[in-house]
Amino acid sequence: MIVPIGPIHPALKEPIRLKLQTEGERVVKAELEYGYVHRGIEKIMEGKTWQKAIYLSERVCGICSYEHTQTFAETIEQISDVDVPLRAQFLRVITNELDRIQSHLLGNSTFFKSMDHETLFMRVLEMREYAMDSIELLTGNRVNMGWNVVGGVRMDADERHFEPILKNLEIIENEFERTRALFAEGPALALRCKGIGVMTKKEAIKGRAVGPIGRASGIKEDYRVGHYTYDDHFDFKVIRRTEGDNYARTLTRFDEIPESISLIRQAIENIPEGEVRTPVDLKSGYAMRQNEAPRGEVTYMIETNGPLIKNISIRTPSIANMDSCAKYMIRDVPTVADAVATYATSDPCVACAERVAITNEAGKTTIKYLDEVI
Amino acid sequence: MLDAIKDVVRKSSIHVCIVNCGGCNGCDVECVALLSPRYDLEQFGIYVHNNPREADVLLLTGAVTEQWKDNLKRIYDKAPEPKIAVAVGNCPISGDVFAQEGGHVNAPASNFIPVAAEIPGCPPRPNEILEAILAVGPQAIADRGREQK
Amino acid sequence: MASLMWYIYDFARKAWADTFLNAKNEPEISQKPERFRDFPKVNKEYCIGCGACTVSCPSPNAIKLVRDEDTEEGEGSTYPVITPGSCIRCGFCAEVCPTEPKTLECGLNHLILPEFNIIPSKRQYLVDDYLCIKCKKCMKKCPVDAISEIDGKLVVDQLKCISCGECIEVCPVNGAMKAVFVENLQDQKDLILLCVNYLEDYINSKEEDLRSLEKNGLLQYDVPLSEIWDEALKIIPDEEIALEIITNAVNRLKIRVIDWDGENCKKCQLCIPDCPTGCISFDEEKDTIVREKDRCLRCSICYQTCPFSVIKYFIAKFSLDDGKNIHTTVKASNLNEDLFME
Repeated sequence: MIVPIGPIHPALKEPIRLKLQTEGERVVKAELEYGYVHRGIEKIMEGKTWQKAIYLSERVCGICSYEHTQTFAETIEQISDVDVPLRAQFLRVITNELDRIQSHLLGNSTFFKSMDHETLFMRVLEMREYAMDSIELLTGNRVNMGWNVVGGVRMDADERHFEPILKNLEIIENEFERTRALFAEGPALALRCKGIGVMTKKEAIKGRAVGPIGRASGIKEDYRVGHYTYDDHFDFKVIRRTEGDNYARTLTRFDEIPESISLIRQAIENIPEGEVRTPVDLKSGYAMRQNEAPRGEVTYMIETNGPLIKNISIRTPSIANMDSCAKYMIRDVPTVADAVATYATSDPCVACAERVAITNEAGKTTIKYLDEVI
Repeated sequence: MLDAIKDVVRKSSIHVCIVNCGGCNGCDVECVALLSPRYDLEQFGIYVHNNPREADVLLLTGAVTEQWKDNLKRIYDKAPEPKIAVAVGNCPISGDVFAQEGGHVNAPASNFIPVAAEIPGCPPRPNEILEAILAVGPQAIADRGREQK
Repeated sequence: MASLMWYIYDFARKAWADTFLNAKNEPEISQKPERFRDFPKVNKEYCIGCGACTVSCPSPNAIKLVRDEDTEEGEGSTYPVITPGSCIRCGFCAEVCPTEPKTLECGLNHLILPEFNIIPSKRQYLVDDYLCIKCKKCMKKCPVDAISEIDGKLVVDQLKCISCGECIEVCPVNGAMKAVFVENLQDQKDLILLCVNYLEDYINSKEEDLRSLEKNGLLQYDVPLSEIWDEALKIIPDEEIALEIITNAVNRLKIRVIDWDGENCKKCQLCIPDCPTGCISFDEEKDTIVREKDRCLRCSICYQTCPFSVIKYFIAKFSLDDGKNIHTTVKASNLNEDLFME
């Protein structure tokens, strides 16, 4: 029997259709149907200057909007051979990690909500509000920050901003210990998490799972490791687990939060003096850049013609994660409720995932737009 | 007399369904943030169900993509009377940055279903959403309830 | 059972009554931080109508420049209007707004330095439809296909144009393809006005030559540009732009000059009622005909009316090739004879 869920459903926050094939109580197979939020952002970006396109790239995804603008800016900087001032790089790290904290907390709270654990849901959301406060304080907006520009960041920050951020981080840290213990040691929760939605390392590689979802299955891949700012100035540990079940995925996201907090502390402590923005002489060319968004690797491939964008292609982490979720995680799950919870642990972000890629018979992938396909 | 009682009851118990018809998720995230203890949406008698079949208020977010052109009306028809639709964010109001050459959006949403109130912003802050729902919602539902007679 | 006891205990404590009565949100939820970017605030009085905000805005339909209706007191003011339903609160308009103090304010004002300019090129390429012969050479030459034919007119798509200037090189008609400077329009107007005033004053100062000019004769001067060059640089500091604007303006300039010798005038006063602007009047005390130069249209009606051919009408043309001297040619008009011939 097939149980269709969505696109509008109490269990889902975003429009997507989840088709679950059941045998009795057990869910044996799942299929995802996309296409509800395709807006054609890449097509709109073509022929625009970066000043306009960067605000569009921010709206690819509203949850991890920050990393999109940073990758976009870094790609254009790579084309134009610009070195961003070090102070701007440190400010980017602070915002990036704040964004990661709030995204991970939101992902976990959605998982708790889908398991109907209201207490944890409320606690995690309350913690997230402090991260959102810090973001708003620093950048001027809660979700779509408009903080990055090609050549640096828009505004400088000083003690007046760093002190409240450190204070908020302390609040998050205090709450965090208790919340994590509640989840990690709670017997009822563990019953519903451990051993459910297992994805092995081989399957994760096959399904191209990235980010915390891949790392929970044992893949050692974090694009912060190769990033120039992180490599030269910061110390951090890549969190990795091997179980690959719902429990591991949630705990991976939880454990990354202290790392992010320590990264922000390092950045605020060692932030150098100087400019935060440098003028850019735009060149024509092509570049590709990968960065670690909260959900995993985000790739921008941009071809420019002078100041204008000629061609752009965006690869987001959600599409790989959701696909591997449907293929490998929801394969033998005890109940429909568990299947929905498993779907929630893959931290789905449908707005990210709506990029169109079509594989032709020769196995060569070509990117096309929806109107050309239909 | 019966109407008055119904008004009171309707005003203190509002069930909300978030309908994301093709946005960037930003407004949905801000609606979820409203559930947090800081804003505590439920103290005002507002309950987020995400189920159109028992919703009084449809919170529309997103710029009405191709797939939603017909489905939006269907969702709206499924909600029981009295019901209102509130547009959250710029996308359902004007299409935001997507209403340009190359974008596949059919904004505004008011072309497809009647929209009672609009909350501009990209995205609006949670307290802006809260203020707008509380200012418009209860009265609009009560008015619509009387209209049906 | 335990929960019931808790409820009874809590009820008896009456603490619930206080919390129930004081149940409201803390003020912190509606507090906005200092940097919060709300919808931009418009200060109408500072706007210069440059359009930088509308060009830079990433959202369509968010900013419109409107102009008030003219009133008796003066011209209606021009100012931007923000549509909240489209504005994404990025604050970019406030960043690019060039006025001081700012017309648009949005949160904390951002870094505003001239090198972070939104418009990548100083020039905007336009087709002059009046001169264009529709040979479409520019369309074929354009490397980014920015020129297209819409409703029989060639139009440059400004978003695609990369300002390479190849269309100007292939254009067979001088002036059909234009590369205009889109910034500082008001400064450009000031510069052209300065140039025209200077040339006119120069010609008027050669009274003697003008009055002794034969009917088919020509007067030729080389006016040095250096005299106004310093003042021109004060208006537009960029030498290259200033020279190009002056060259373009001067090469197309045609100044008409009206002059008469007061001693030969017979004071018949026929020209006074014929003047359309009423700028010619009779000064009784000094017994002369006076022309107010500032109001004169140079329409030459007085020249045609004058029965004694005292009023003279000259046409001056200019060219600036070497960037140093403005070559000036003054010619007397033959209008009267043409009229007599008919």
